[in-house]
Amino acid sequence: MKANRHCCRWTVLFILSMLFSPVHCCVNAVENKRDIKVEISNESLIATSQEKVVKLYGAGGVKGLESYQSGVLFGNSGYILTSWSTVLDVAKVRVVTFDGRRLDATMVGMDPQNELAVLKVDDAGLVGFELSETTAARPGQRVFAISNLFGIAAGNESCSAQKGVIMATTPLTTRRGKIKSLYQGKVYVLDVVTNNPGASGGALIDLQGRLIGMIGKEIRDEQAGIWLNYALPLDVVKMSVDRVLSGNTSVADSEIKAVAQPHRVSDLGVTLIPDVLSKTPPYIDQVRDGSTAQKSGLQTNDLILLLNDQRVDSRKALEKMLASINRADSFYVLVQRGQELMRIHVRP
Amino acid sequence: MEATKTQAIISIALVLSGWSSAQFSTRCSAQEQGPVSLPPPQPEPGVVAAQQQRIDAMKKASLATVAVYGTDGQGGGSGVCISADGYVLTNFHVSSPFGHRMRCGLNDGKMYESIVTGVDPTGDLAVLKMVGREDFPAADIGNSDDVRIGQWCFAVGNPFVLATNLQPTVTYGLISGVRRYQYPSGTILEYSDCIQTDAAINPGNSGGPLFNIRGELIGINGRCSFEKRGRVNVGVGYAISVKQAMNFLWQLKSGRVVDHATLGFTVATDTKGKVTVSNILESSDAFRRGIRYGDEILRLGDRDVATTNQLKNILGIFPDHWRIPIRYRNDDETIDTFIRLQSLHLPSELEEIIKGEAAQRQPSPPQRKPPGDKLPEDKPSEDKPAGDGKPDTPIPTQDNDPSDPSKLAPNTSNPEPKKDPLEGMYAQKRGFSNLFFNRWEQDRILKLQAQDGKWNETSASWKIVGQVPRENIAIDMNLSDENVLFRMEDKSDTVHPRQGWPQWIKQRSPIGIAMGMRIWQEWHRRGPRSMGDAVYLGRNPVVGREGLLDVNRITVSDFDAMVYTAPTNGQIELIEILSDNQTDPVEVYFEQYQNIDGRLTPKLVRLSYGMETKFLFSIDQFETKGTEEGKGL
Repeated sequence: MKANRHCCRWTVLFILSMLFSPVHCCVNAVENKRDIKVEISNESLIATSQEKVVKLYGAGGVKGLESYQSGVLFGNSGYILTSWSTVLDVAKVRVVTFDGRRLDATMVGMDPQNELAVLKVDDAGLVGFELSETTAARPGQRVFAISNLFGIAAGNESCSAQKGVIMATTPLTTRRGKIKSLYQGKVYVLDVVTNNPGASGGALIDLQGRLIGMIGKEIRDEQAGIWLNYALPLDVVKMSVDRVLSGNTSVADSEIKAVAQPHRVSDLGVTLIPDVLSKTPPYIDQVRDGSTAQKSGLQTNDLILLLNDQRVDSRKALEKMLASINRADSFYVLVQRGQELMRIHVRP
Repeated sequence: MEATKTQAIISIALVLSGWSSAQFSTRCSAQEQGPVSLPPPQPEPGVVAAQQQRIDAMKKASLATVAVYGTDGQGGGSGVCISADGYVLTNFHVSSPFGHRMRCGLNDGKMYESIVTGVDPTGDLAVLKMVGREDFPAADIGNSDDVRIGQWCFAVGNPFVLATNLQPTVTYGLISGVRRYQYPSGTILEYSDCIQTDAAINPGNSGGPLFNIRGELIGINGRCSFEKRGRVNVGVGYAISVKQAMNFLWQLKSGRVVDHATLGFTVATDTKGKVTVSNILESSDAFRRGIRYGDEILRLGDRDVATTNQLKNILGIFPDHWRIPIRYRNDDETIDTFIRLQSLHLPSELEEIIKGEAAQRQPSPPQRKPPGDKLPEDKPSEDKPAGDGKPDTPIPTQDNDPSDPSKLAPNTSNPEPKKDPLEGMYAQKRGFSNLFFNRWEQDRILKLQAQDGKWNETSASWKIVGQVPRENIAIDMNLSDENVLFRMEDKSDTVHPRQGWPQWIKQRSPIGIAMGMRIWQEWHRRGPRSMGDAVYLGRNPVVGREGLLDVNRITVSDFDAMVYTAPTNGQIELIEILSDNQTDPVEVYFEQYQNIDGRLTPKLVRLSYGMETKFLFSIDQFETKGTEEGKGL
């Protein structure tokens, strides 16, 4: 019942926004005074920003899952931020830059809470957005979205540009259960259909060409059938990026030191799904009754994302990382269970 | 069911609102942060001026926008009027369900009877002609080459058949992408070099215009990316560039089923990222111009080529039979030349496409579907080239709901039966969408030529004498119904007046110039249709000349002649005689005319084969009274 009300509210808001538009034209004109000055430079502003958006190609291409998405270059060291998705479930993500260069990216790390990942390419020449200052955006503000939606652009073709207005700044949590999203934080709701296949990870910029957000994944209200168009605000993005860059990263294989008496998956009472890919996601297939895993609260179909805040990108990685923890020590895992993230303390 | 309804309302609201939903967020923030007092609306003069400019542009643009309906007022798409005499550009997929006649509504509130002239099934274009006025409001034609990402634009049209009073809907947006290539949907409707916009383009907008912010026509809206979200706009619409539309305009006005082109070779991107020839037909003009397997293509038309997509983009905007510039590099050098484009389809294939289209869209009028429904075309096609990932479809035409009288397009209420204004304006023939207009265009050219003098009063036997300038080589020829006699210095040859020419053409014989003169003579004395089947093709470019020339193809006997005339005065500037597709045709250029006895007479003629000029012929004596010797009365 409660859920239903939310859905209705959405619908009503949408319709309201449409019906009242003509009346408020003049408000728009005032609000957009500043726009007129920059309108002349829209082309160059968008052109410059397009050079900072990349096309990403990875896993997918089956069952309605796209194998492509967008990414945003930041800094000058080849860092790319993007949505954390199944597209990234490959050893090397293919990056195509604005000038058609094809580069391989490695995963620096990811932040499951914000569904955001950071990649890196070894190419010194790439110039990205500056993340140092976080630019807050307000409702009513005009924005441009730049992404490779529908994978329209290929090679050196430019990513697509769209115009829009931030309709609201609001948390996604109220839509819990209605709109499937792991991310539950603050979003900019947009009045333009930005969140199309392949658009996630694209850039939301203001009329000065500053990055103000990252386009999120496609989410839809199952009941009303409405797709939500939104972006993660820059402060959220920046928090994730900082988190990833400051430690929540995957540890290099060489740095993992095995201990004499480590934890083992089987000893914990866990069976993982068979290791058939180069990077098989560490899904729990079965949990033995009465085992450590069961007592700690792990369940079948949990996907293990982090182990002691370090990224677990595959079944092999999990086994290796467990091997570095003494059997007597407890540890934390972050798992994805359905649409929820859970932090679980595993105590032997 | 409820969800579908809601969706329908929203989609309509979306169209209505366009860009100006900023106020909503103001309301929203007011809710969140307590009351906010808005400043009194006192916009700066610059803002007012910009708004006024936009209002004016949209007003003018709306005048030229057309709502296309079936003869029963059913169905519905859009179009744009491009000339005062009522020619309308629209999509092939809009016009095809209606057969050859339909009705076009303008925002003066009137419906005009209209008839199809030409169709381009591959490029999804069609031209219609409205009748009933000589002063139809026409759109200003813009330059789609100047369109850049980030520019503002607006689409005008008839989305969801909202234009019940024939006032079109305007949607405002941004140019999202340019020079997009969209793979054919099924076997046809290939969108090359198209413009991508986030201006809302919805069912019913098909065939309607996309304007730049100055109100100049830059494209014809026709296709969207929909994928899983049903058939309302999701921020991605595509418009055929007005450059392509203008390239095809006269071919479409010819009343033919128009075809696109192939180069006669295919390309691939090699390991170094170069676009190289991967296969070439030995019968192609490209092969005769020296292009071989492995050569790198650097430039086509007026643009550089760096990727295969770019090459396809450039090629897609040209009609078949055009001769366009190309730059390529082989092992030794970079070569600039021109190649003739071949037809993409066999005539029978085009016929199949049109039949298929008609069958697919029967029964007519199609039933209305709720906007949330998936289209049959929506299913992801698996035969698409890997990695293209571009699931888009032509916008379906929006059907009217017959049960809702308010949705019916207005009728021109004529209680008493009137004479059909389209009477006599339709003729059927294979390969034509409306043969009537082919005759119409030929007559236009012949009317222009009437001022060149009364050539029909000349005798059947002409004697032309002259020389190759500065080389002191004498040339003379006799053109009559008995034979064509050609003498150059001491060597003379004779050919039949209307057949057996190909063998001479294959040898690149200088007598080709006399053949060209003979076609010129026949055209002027007896008219093009006396020589054989004469078809007006449209307008093509000619090497070394600015602009486009009218072209007629005449199937004489064992050869075809292509006659190029200037659009302004109808003067013949070039006659090509084709033997077969293995051989370069004869090219006879008429470079100078002079007035002799009230007749515009060739003065300087040039003979070419391939890209090679053989010689110039300067005419000193042009005898048309006829010696009549040996010819009984």
